[in-house]
Amino acid sequence: MTDIDITSKTMDGMGPHGTKVGLLRVLGPAHVWALGVGIVLVGEYMGWNFAVGKGGAYAALIACWFAGILYSCVAMIDSEVTSTVASAGGQYTQAKHIIGPLMAFNVGLYLVFAYTMLEAANAITAGYLFSVVATMSGHATDLDQRPFIILVIMFLAWLNYRGVLATLTFNLVITAIAFLAILILFLSTSGIVGGGIMEHAALFEGHELPYGWIGVLAAMHFGLWYYLGIEGTTQAAEEVRSPARALPFGTLAGIMTLLIAATLTWYVSTGVLPWEFLGDGVNGSVAPLFDTARLSGSTGLVWLLGFGTLFATLASANGCINDASRAWFAMGRDKYLPSWFGAVHPKYRTPYRSIVFLVPIALIFALGAPLDQVITFSILSGLLGYTFMPLNIILFRRKWPLNSIKRGYEHPFHPLPAITLLALCGVTYFAVFLGYGTQLVAMIGFYIVVSLWFHFWRYRFVNRGAQFTMPWPKPQGY
Amino acid sequence: MNLWNFMEYAAWGVSALLGLHMLVDWLKTDSTYSEEVLTSSREGELEALAEEHKG
Amino acid sequence: MAHYNPPTQGKVSQLIDVVVLVILTFGALFVPLWLGMAGAAKTVATADANPTWESLGQTPAQAAKYEALGYNPASAHDLILARFDYSFSAGALLTMIVVVVLYYVLILRFSESEYREVIAEKFGRE
Repeated sequence: MTDIDITSKTMDGMGPHGTKVGLLRVLGPAHVWALGVGIVLVGEYMGWNFAVGKGGAYAALIACWFAGILYSCVAMIDSEVTSTVASAGGQYTQAKHIIGPLMAFNVGLYLVFAYTMLEAANAITAGYLFSVVATMSGHATDLDQRPFIILVIMFLAWLNYRGVLATLTFNLVITAIAFLAILILFLSTSGIVGGGIMEHAALFEGHELPYGWIGVLAAMHFGLWYYLGIEGTTQAAEEVRSPARALPFGTLAGIMTLLIAATLTWYVSTGVLPWEFLGDGVNGSVAPLFDTARLSGSTGLVWLLGFGTLFATLASANGCINDASRAWFAMGRDKYLPSWFGAVHPKYRTPYRSIVFLVPIALIFALGAPLDQVITFSILSGLLGYTFMPLNIILFRRKWPLNSIKRGYEHPFHPLPAITLLALCGVTYFAVFLGYGTQLVAMIGFYIVVSLWFHFWRYRFVNRGAQFTMPWPKPQGY
Repeated sequence: MNLWNFMEYAAWGVSALLGLHMLVDWLKTDSTYSEEVLTSSREGELEALAEEHKG
Repeated sequence: MAHYNPPTQGKVSQLIDVVVLVILTFGALFVPLWLGMAGAAKTVATADANPTWESLGQTPAQAAKYEALGYNPASAHDLILARFDYSFSAGALLTMIVVVVLYYVLILRFSESEYREVIAEKFGRE
């Protein structure tokens, strides 16, 4: 295998002899971290607080930690499989090699929908921020948010089109600033540096668990939001210089960053904002960290968290465009979708047709659908994806036991994380059912219809043996 | 016309320019290169890469 | 097993496939919206005609925060008193469980048959 040069500018190191026009291997572990955390961190700036509304402040903390366990399992399982199946498409390619084509098609769609919807939600939030800033700076009439929503999507799509290195370096910078903003807010309001303004005991008095324990269950729905998207790190697999090391490292560092950020966010926001206000993300606190900064009385903090919120939405939308287009591209390359999408730009080395194709779709959702619907669609697609992961790892270990192929990372305590993950997914289905049962059934109806479409029509265009590209031995039991 | 009205028009304008740039580049790329070259990317083989690192 | 040669797909057919997929996607999101079945709204169970911070169940410390945020008892009334309704019927829960389980069974069964074909062609039969 000496004819592969992964640093070559002309050959990309893909396939047995490399191919001429593939994605470019330029990213390091820091970019993987930025991609994972960048997508998710916006969840700390907005959205997680719906969990407070669902069950009160304590329920949101319990949901935060249980969702943290759920995502730690996701990160561990993902790291193991991905350190072996490193390919653009991430979980889609994992499913293709481990469970089967139809599962892979569904997983690919989960990814594209979860990310495209999240991108639309971010653009909506960014547009809202521009209007808030306009009002604060004395603009009399209501700002037309549409040009700003479109600009956000267009600019980030353009950045993605032009190359992955610039895209994710941009993400690294703005994600780091947004994360630092949370740390600074915590340090300056909690009393560690200067006077503290936390009043947890007084604010919780009489409102410990306003819905009782069912509220804790219901809060799990939005507990996912603290971390939703961390699994997207795998999409960068074909563009990372040494995937077997960088992907597990970036993913696990990412989940640790998020556990810290989520707990700090809960701490500062619930210590300052009453739960009814905090928990209503539509009429109350749209951007809880920003509102916390407003009550701190410091103009500097208000600006810092204002920019933090904007940067977090941009970083998230940016990562979403990156991930959704990689998944769409990977499906096109295998002819699961029209092969036309499997093209790579010869100069920029990006899946340019997939990037351009997803722009109008994101725009339609960002301009035409209400925020909570868009977000629920995103969470549901994510949840279906997490349900697939335990099945994936159990079958992976059964078909290729530990000694049969080399793994860059082996997660501990198998099958405990898989069983925990499955159980927590069950709890979350119930939580979603409590609020959005109709959507859940409608969406699964959609996936059943497209599955039948794929199995009976689309799959005829797919090469059978050739889509299995990993140099693995024959799976056990076949 | 105040600052924010100007910003609205600027946002429309910049969006259109970025969109146009992608569209023009896309059409130019599609007509310059053959479909075989553009879709020649294949899925990776990680084990091969790991072995190369060791060797 | 015999090598399977997929037919090449024409441009028009590719386009139709994309259109079908896009229509299904928009359908899944917008149909529940149009039918008015979407969303879980909060409602105020019993309105308070003359709300004060005490009657809304707020301690002085909590009331102070609301005032700092620019609320008075009247404007905070709906925000504070609105609650979700978590009651549900066993039938609805059962429907959801059946749908989710059926979906995964369907996918796993079809995937398995397709997967066996892939492995057979890739590695050959023993």
